[in-house]
Amino acid sequence: MIGRRLRFETTQATEFVDITDRLREEVHRAGLKIGRLHLQSLHTTLGLAVNENEPLLLRDFQVLLERIAPEGAGYEHDDFARRMNVATNEPVNGHAHCRQLLLTGFTTVLVEDGDLVLGQWQSVFAVELDGPRHRQLALQLDGEFASPLSPFSGEGQGEGRGRSAEAGPASQTLVELELARQLLVDPEPVATPMRRLVEAGGKRMRPRLVQLTAGIGPRSEPLRAAALAAAVELLHNATLIHDDYVDESTHRRGQPTVAAAEGPERAVAVGDYYFAKATRLIAEIGNRDVTSTIAEALEAICASQIDDVALRGAFPGDHDSYLRVVRGKTAALFAAACASGALLSEAGPEVVDALRRYGDLVGVAFQMADDMVDFSPSSGKPVGLDIRQRVLSLPLIYAAEDRTVGPEVRRLLAGSLGDAEVGRVTDLVISSNALDRVRDEATALVETAVHELEAIELDGLRPILISLARSAVDRTA
Amino acid sequence: MSIQLVERDLDRLESLWEDGLSDAYRSYLEAVQAYEPEAQPRLALAAALIEIGLRLQGLGGRAAAAPTLLMGDLCLARSSRLLAGAAPQSVQIAFARAIETLSSSAASGSSALAPRTRDLLLRAFEAK
Repeated sequence: MIGRRLRFETTQATEFVDITDRLREEVHRAGLKIGRLHLQSLHTTLGLAVNENEPLLLRDFQVLLERIAPEGAGYEHDDFARRMNVATNEPVNGHAHCRQLLLTGFTTVLVEDGDLVLGQWQSVFAVELDGPRHRQLALQLDGEFASPLSPFSGEGQGEGRGRSAEAGPASQTLVELELARQLLVDPEPVATPMRRLVEAGGKRMRPRLVQLTAGIGPRSEPLRAAALAAAVELLHNATLIHDDYVDESTHRRGQPTVAAAEGPERAVAVGDYYFAKATRLIAEIGNRDVTSTIAEALEAICASQIDDVALRGAFPGDHDSYLRVVRGKTAALFAAACASGALLSEAGPEVVDALRRYGDLVGVAFQMADDMVDFSPSSGKPVGLDIRQRVLSLPLIYAAEDRTVGPEVRRLLAGSLGDAEVGRVTDLVISSNALDRVRDEATALVETAVHELEAIELDGLRPILISLARSAVDRTA
Repeated sequence: MSIQLVERDLDRLESLWEDGLSDAYRSYLEAVQAYEPEAQPRLALAAALIEIGLRLQGLGGRAAAAPTLLMGDLCLARSSRLLAGAAPQSVQIAFARAIETLSSSAASGSSALAPRTRDLLLRAFEAK
């Protein structure tokens, strides 16, 4: 089930607004194949109707409404002297309320084969009875969708629990197309390695957060959101290319890293190119708040990378250091993705701030889950890679603190780490309660993130944001 | 010439400031005279950070060791934040394009033919 709001403005006192195409678009964006589209007017002087869009007929309807409930016909509702709690700007609109009674405030349209089930002459109207005004309708889409929504569906991982128009296949495709388009125009020496990385997959969490949050405010523009989302993904990948060189990683997403395949010099250049290109694409969007938000996140990432490498001398580190690094290294871009999408859609500051906090918490939880994957044989990645690379990892920190296994973990981590040592440390971590502690902590962070969403209007996107947050932790790869 | 930079702008870069960043900064100050007085120091620092950052990374030459590369990354990121706050959109774009030019030349092994970093950055200021 997806919930949405349809906003529009009317220009006449009485007006039949044909919303059929916009409803079709909502069905398409959501990927609803078969089911129902429920509509509900959120106003007492806005009705709904399904009828023919023929101008003379619409005039007939208007005349009919005016005849049955003429304006200024002595409605008691308009006698403000007898009414309680009358607002200073209360309109004289008894006629409009009475006309609305002749229409309906609710309707359901069936959906089959991904389209509205309407007869040849049928259109869906929102009927303004007291305009001109800003209006909104509540929509719910219910039924079978094109594919089960998973926040990680780009990789076929994770289990979806909800759906959303903004997270639907169409908008995801838009980002993939934008990524492909951008890579198409770049010089081959930089485009080829980046294309290999982009096409190898990735969870696309950050672009998805951008797209979701870009649908929250009053200015929802899917193409601008896709451009921002793709730029954020390119930026993320640019940082990964330098990270892989720093970490001496040979593979990422099952492919050789740029540094391993083409050498460190190429890795530096490709990372720089896409850092610059992504910042340019974001600047070209022309929203200074968005540009600053992403730039600040990028700075936090770089500063944390320096801290991360410095802390490897005190491996495995402690909880506070871990949180400080992860907030910058991972959570900063999650938070910026959420905030920048909301800023792009011109959402209010309280919404932007709440989403920024949500992104920060989900980002930290996501990194904790990522740390746990290092101990999962079913992840598809070599077990113990973080140990081998001496990467900051919360399960290792907790295992090192453990009264039973801690002394041996610390002793092993202090020496050189060959296969036997890495295997033994892995076994010790698994045998301790470290993974349970990390899972509990990540789950608590996600619930706090969900709590952040409670006080703000999210235009029906709450379920998918909750689902996405929970899926960030509930994964094995 | 007075230096009107806030502490945050040079955070973690103190040693670099002594080691070439301040000279680069001063050399860019002249190029930013056409901008609002309060923006000038940040714009000059942004350009200096790009020049020094790319040099630290070893772009177009031998790749720097990991810690030095990361310091170079921080320089570029700091520059990006400064530009986002102080530069017009056209200048932000021009700076990004300058880095794109230099890095794509480096990736294709033709750095020797690429324009000098400082020339490109000075030209970027003219995009105002």
